[in-house]
Amino acid sequence: MATVIRTSGLHKHYGRVRALDGLDLEVSSGQIHGFLGPNGAGKSTTIRVLLGLARATSGEALVFDRDPWRDAVALHRRIAYVPGDVSVWPNLSGGEAIDFLARLRGASRRDAVYRAEKQRLLEAFQFDPRKKGRAYSKGNRQKISLIAALAVPADLYVLDEPTSGLDPLMDVVFRREVARVRDAGATVLLSSHILSEVEQLCDRVSIIRAGRIVESGTLADLRHLTRTEVSFEADDATALDGIVGAHDPAYEAGRARFTVDSDAVASVLPELARRQVAGLRVQPPTLEELFLRHYGEDVAAEQNGERERARVSSTSGR
Amino acid sequence: MGLGTLWAQRVRRDWRQLLMWTVGTGLLAYLSYVGVSQSYGSEQERASLLAAAVANPVILLFRGLPSGADEGAFMVFLIMPWLALLAAFMSAFLAVRHTRGDEEAGRAELVSATPAGRMMPVVATALHGIGANVVLGALVAVAYIAVGLDPAGAVVAGAAAACVGVCFLGVGLVCAQLLRTSRAANATAVWITLAAFLVSGIGNAIGTPSDDLSHVESSGFAWASPFGWAENTRAFDEDLWWPVLLGLAAGFVLAGSTIALAAARDLGESFIPARRGRTEASVALSSPTALVWRLTRGAIIGWLVGGLIAGVMSTSLASIVEEVGASNPAIEEIVRQISGDASVEQGTITTFFTMLGVLAACCAVQVVCRARQEEAHGTAEIVLSAPVARVRWLADYLAVAAVGIVLVVAAAIGGAALGIAARGGDGDLMLTVVVTGAGQAIGASVFLVATALAFVLVPRITIPLGWSLVVLGMTLGLFGPLFGFPEWLVRVSPVAVTPIVDGDTIDVRGLWWLVGAVAVGAVASLGLMRRRELATGG
Repeated sequence: MATVIRTSGLHKHYGRVRALDGLDLEVSSGQIHGFLGPNGAGKSTTIRVLLGLARATSGEALVFDRDPWRDAVALHRRIAYVPGDVSVWPNLSGGEAIDFLARLRGASRRDAVYRAEKQRLLEAFQFDPRKKGRAYSKGNRQKISLIAALAVPADLYVLDEPTSGLDPLMDVVFRREVARVRDAGATVLLSSHILSEVEQLCDRVSIIRAGRIVESGTLADLRHLTRTEVSFEADDATALDGIVGAHDPAYEAGRARFTVDSDAVASVLPELARRQVAGLRVQPPTLEELFLRHYGEDVAAEQNGERERARVSSTSGR
Repeated sequence: MGLGTLWAQRVRRDWRQLLMWTVGTGLLAYLSYVGVSQSYGSEQERASLLAAAVANPVILLFRGLPSGADEGAFMVFLIMPWLALLAAFMSAFLAVRHTRGDEEAGRAELVSATPAGRMMPVVATALHGIGANVVLGALVAVAYIAVGLDPAGAVVAGAAAACVGVCFLGVGLVCAQLLRTSRAANATAVWITLAAFLVSGIGNAIGTPSDDLSHVESSGFAWASPFGWAENTRAFDEDLWWPVLLGLAAGFVLAGSTIALAAARDLGESFIPARRGRTEASVALSSPTALVWRLTRGAIIGWLVGGLIAGVMSTSLASIVEEVGASNPAIEEIVRQISGDASVEQGTITTFFTMLGVLAACCAVQVVCRARQEEAHGTAEIVLSAPVARVRWLADYLAVAAVGIVLVVAAAIGGAALGIAARGGDGDLMLTVVVTGAGQAIGASVFLVATALAFVLVPRITIPLGWSLVVLGMTLGLFGPLFGFPEWLVRVSPVAVTPIVDGDTIDVRGLWWLVGAVAVGAVASLGLMRRRELATGG
């Protein structure tokens, strides 16, 4: 499979701040690639470099085997981009903004295919194109950008947290549209901090932390690194005795639970079958757990920090 | 409930801005006295200018109501409409900012959900606005008392300016109730203000002059405008108080109707619904260049109107300057300092076209600053992530700015031709008009490329730097000769070294320096843009 995006040892420094600190990202063609990390991890900076809007301090970035800084215009003909925080022109209507952006990417006024596609998307996203830009909410500004991006076919879609202002119904529409462009052969780089979205949509996931990729692979790959939770109905904790491969046994409110390495789930099932357990539930690890494994330290530290601050302020309050 | 808190919050949010408006207006009042005492020191000089003005309606359009040649009354004639205009703008923007502006930003919802309710913010805004106008009026009065004019007249002058402010505070409040966006409310209030300014000017121009041409009785038309009321106080002459009350009464009636209007509508709604936009973009909006034009054409048209007025005045006022200059060497001297030893007519054109150069520079700087606004606001990012090269993107702004300069100058040349034609004047003057105009276009382009260079090299200060350069260029080039700056300093300003016509010969002055600066600046800014990253934020 061809590689659409490849960065190696990518650095981007703003003064002393290392926004990107040796980022190695690889996105293959025909995939929806989840780009996961909390705010400030470097997602948007990476995307700016990939679009040639920012220049890498060092390291290499290639998009369709070309340098995005030098060949920006040629690359942009093949790329559709939805920024994280969409701004629109206050005195242009939504419809005008969509047409303008689509025309920059090659749509023409008389192009029946474009018009039909735009109409379909306007209806799917339930978007009113006649309001002026300043009257749109965040979600609606995002729709402008999404409709403009999706209405003209591209080889690569770069979507930076595209659903952060959309309601759940529109989320469904968005997922359907992204799956559609993937099925049509396009590649999608989807940056997000919404785990369920990435989990439902993405073929591969890269997790970024402090300007570096800390984990990359298919969801199945990543799941191997974690444990699956198994639980069943039981009268007391003794029900957990003697299950080979079980970790972290616990008993709570009529259910016994333990975890098992994700690639060893099958091996505990015969034992459970022999015991004829009732109410069996096997829960594969969520992306959230993956995520917390990488960010757990930070989260813990942050919580400590908060506690510290709370303590200080309560002391001073006395 | 909470009226004091709301008021305090408005004062805290606004005080810096209001300080600039009020102190600026007080300073303008002070400078007007200094100007009059220096340029028209003797009563005889003042009387001759007044007579010329009364005889020429174009002057009365932009000045106040002639009320005698006394120093104070003469100065009020020159400056009162402008003091009142500043008060009006300050008040209208203040009213919209704290009502519709807050509503649009969502802050009003937060406040209205507290016991303050929907009315208290309106009442607090009205009080805040009245307070600002009291300060403005007081500063104007203090400025005149400080220079030793009659205190009674000074207080009337201050009150006259403040009463126009209060009246347009009411206009701003009502506009904010009627219109959906603060932009629309501000624009409507500005148009109403300018219309009122013009109505008063026309009303004075068609009024009845006294036999000695020192007084004019306003026609009824002028009484339709708050500016007319302020001028009819005739400060330092008759010192009438009752026209001030007209302005206050109008302001209070408008503020009262605001409360009635606010009571009848939902928060966030308006009586005049927001205009719906187009469903589709027009054919024209298909390129980045078209977008720049779309975003800046309103501003360009505004400057173009300014250019047209400067053009008309440059030729239609030449005769008056000649007339007045004959009896007042001070005026002739000023014109000569700006324009060299040309004839008075040519000199007047040069003087007005120096102002035109500043207007054209303003137009260009505003367009280039728009590029920075687009970048900071985030809309440049979506254009630049489409197949649009960085250099092309900036070049579009430079090109539209250059077109703006050409249009402003062309409007001025057209206006000047009209001025000549209207008084059946000398067609030969057109050579002066065209050469001076074209020269000023080059001068204004220097400000264009300077702002563009700032945008590429120090993007975060593009806007303040661009405008500071224009103000500096104007101060040196236009006012430098008046303030008696040394010649080398005046000639630092690009608008002061453009080609002029002296008799029949064209003096190119610094033309080639200007052309060189424009060429180098344009090439450098576009060349450096190739290597510049998007600089968002701040």
